[in-house]
Amino acid sequence: METLNSSLHRTHFLSAPLLHYSTFNPQVYTLFKKPSLSFSISCKLKTSQDVKKKNENVSKKIVLSDTQPPPLKNEEALGKVERTRGVFGLVKRLPRRVLAVFSNLPLAIGEMFAIAGLMAIGTVIEQGETPEFYFDKYPEDNPVLGFFTWRWVLTLGFDHMFSSPIFLGLLVLMGLSLMSCTYTTQIPLVKVARRWKFLQSAEAIRKQEFSDSLPRASIQDLGVILMGAGYEVFLKGPFLYAFKGLVGRFAPIGVHIAMLLIMAGGTLSATGSFRGSVTVPQGLNFVMGDVLGPMGFLSTPTDSFNTEVHVNKFYMDYYDSGEVKQFHTDLSLFDLGGKEVMRKTISVNDPLRYGGITMYQTDWSFSALQILKDDEGPFNLAMAPLKVNGDKKLYGTFLPVGDVNSSNVKGMYVLLALIP
Amino acid sequence: MIFSTLEHILTHISFSVVSIGITIQLITLLVDEIIGLYDSLEKGMITTFVCLTGLLVTRWIYSGHFPLSDLYESLIFLSWSFFIIHRIFYFKKHKNHLSAITAPSAIFTQGFATSGFLTKMHQSGILVPALQAQWLMMHVSMMVLGYAALLCGSLLSTARLVITFRKIIRIFYKRNHLLNVNESFSFGEIQYLNEKNNGLLNTSFPYFLSATNYYGYQLIQQLDQWSYRIISLGFIFLTIGILSGAVWANEAWGSYWNWDPKETWAFITWTIFGIYLHTRTNPNWEGVNSAIVASMGFLIIWICYFGVNLLGIGLHSYGSFN
Repeated sequence: METLNSSLHRTHFLSAPLLHYSTFNPQVYTLFKKPSLSFSISCKLKTSQDVKKKNENVSKKIVLSDTQPPPLKNEEALGKVERTRGVFGLVKRLPRRVLAVFSNLPLAIGEMFAIAGLMAIGTVIEQGETPEFYFDKYPEDNPVLGFFTWRWVLTLGFDHMFSSPIFLGLLVLMGLSLMSCTYTTQIPLVKVARRWKFLQSAEAIRKQEFSDSLPRASIQDLGVILMGAGYEVFLKGPFLYAFKGLVGRFAPIGVHIAMLLIMAGGTLSATGSFRGSVTVPQGLNFVMGDVLGPMGFLSTPTDSFNTEVHVNKFYMDYYDSGEVKQFHTDLSLFDLGGKEVMRKTISVNDPLRYGGITMYQTDWSFSALQILKDDEGPFNLAMAPLKVNGDKKLYGTFLPVGDVNSSNVKGMYVLLALIP
Repeated sequence: MIFSTLEHILTHISFSVVSIGITIQLITLLVDEIIGLYDSLEKGMITTFVCLTGLLVTRWIYSGHFPLSDLYESLIFLSWSFFIIHRIFYFKKHKNHLSAITAPSAIFTQGFATSGFLTKMHQSGILVPALQAQWLMMHVSMMVLGYAALLCGSLLSTARLVITFRKIIRIFYKRNHLLNVNESFSFGEIQYLNEKNNGLLNTSFPYFLSATNYYGYQLIQQLDQWSYRIISLGFIFLTIGILSGAVWANEAWGSYWNWDPKETWAFITWTIFGIYLHTRTNPNWEGVNSAIVASMGFLIIWICYFGVNLLGIGLHSYGSFN
């Protein structure tokens, strides 16, 4: 957001774009550091020492007019600093001190760096493996980078980084920072930014970050030019105030609130949701409640957990080249009474939703090989997965020939290899 | 067949124009400034842009799906976004200092995409089931546009850092008789700086009021401002991309966020540029510190975009090299 103030003074003319670069950055947080000085500062504004601390003074000047937190104001008005001592004062001051600590920007930036660093570590270290894996990979007698052994990994929880206490703790801290920053800084900033602030003297204007003098300019012309450039202009006598981009002050509030909502949603699903997976051959059923397991302490099952799911058919579409085009599963849902309540064919990117439960396809495999021989059969031979390596799968089964009950059963092995 | 030949022709045209463009830029920077060639470089950029658009549209029609399903197509899309950003800069500012950043980025990306490394991927492939969704268009295009804008912005910040610490590498400049190898200015400014000579450039930037450093200071201001703007734009695209990716993941895989390497690195990129935007709010840190953060962002985007694909693991493995 940019603001401009102009005066009718001295000498030379610099190109207009330079003026556009002025930025207006009130820092409300400095108020909390020195509350007792809030009134005396207004007298100090015009001394020469203020040249070094230009920005601080601008911000304090603005904040004074608007956003004094009420308890401090009362204390000032009464002029009694002793009230802030003692337990009663401490309780009154504590929320404000806590807010001040959390709405500190360097703390927030540090938290963000820490979270980013931990996430990066989480991608480098394999997640979710057995402890033996880490014993092998980060051995004590040959530590990575000279000090990083499996002890670091397991005690700090790096093997399940994204649900480890250290990571979750940082996220909680980040959430607190977000909340306190939005409450203390962003919302007052909007109020401040919307007020018109006519700077009434040339000295005050010269103390801004960018200032200039146009000796023979007419203020009306300047107003018109600024309006042409998209500013909202306010004229009061010989003073002009213009701003542009107020909507940029609302955006951070929106983003912070959105992040808080996402965090709240994530927390809710981490503590109150159900998950599960099951492998069902074509033609068989399962009950939802048997398969779903709770994820956290707030998970409570609903009525729809009693529905029975029947897999009618599972089939795949193929491209001409032979690769899989789409996986389809035809499902029927039956309630407790045996009545069919829903029937849908799901495919990838098109799941089934019923009663708050969503069903997806995650994987597929062979369950049995059906053999027809001379109008006999069909004989179902269960297939066992021999080696499954991602998308490449190898299944095998044994087809006995001759007497099944003899000690030396003869037959043939049937191997099925799937290599996409 | 028509489409594949058309695609072939367009690929070849863009590659040749791109190679000529690189040669022209190198000649301009290292040997001599030939003003006439500068315009032809602009025309070359326009030609390549049109060719690339044609290439993408052809692939779209020919394969029936939006041209963003594997690494090759996303690289083409990335270089197309660079070309778009280059044109936007050209329209906004007629003195095109910033083309020194965008043009080489576009050229190098396009060159890499059409080079021999990825020839086996040039045929338009079929779409695996997981990618057959409307979300493909929104999520991937937003992410790639976001990467392009953030890359440009971080390069501008790096350029700003280079200028600020110019004293250290002044010796290198002196040897080449040129003042700024990494940036090509408009020619009036180069001549002005040439006249003012190296001795006066010893003054450091807080004392910018002297007229000789004025242009340097103004350049820094411009780089800063443009870097901030384009990173903000890229940040918006990246946010939309991540959010739409999460919603798509919920539709396809069952949960909004799986801590997949690609997802995690995209989130790390988002965090780093969030830190950049936060450092800009504080006037004490505005300037060199925010530029350092943005430069870190450059490396992180490449890790996110390429590095994760090299591993070839996780749910995002469509973009891997094998």
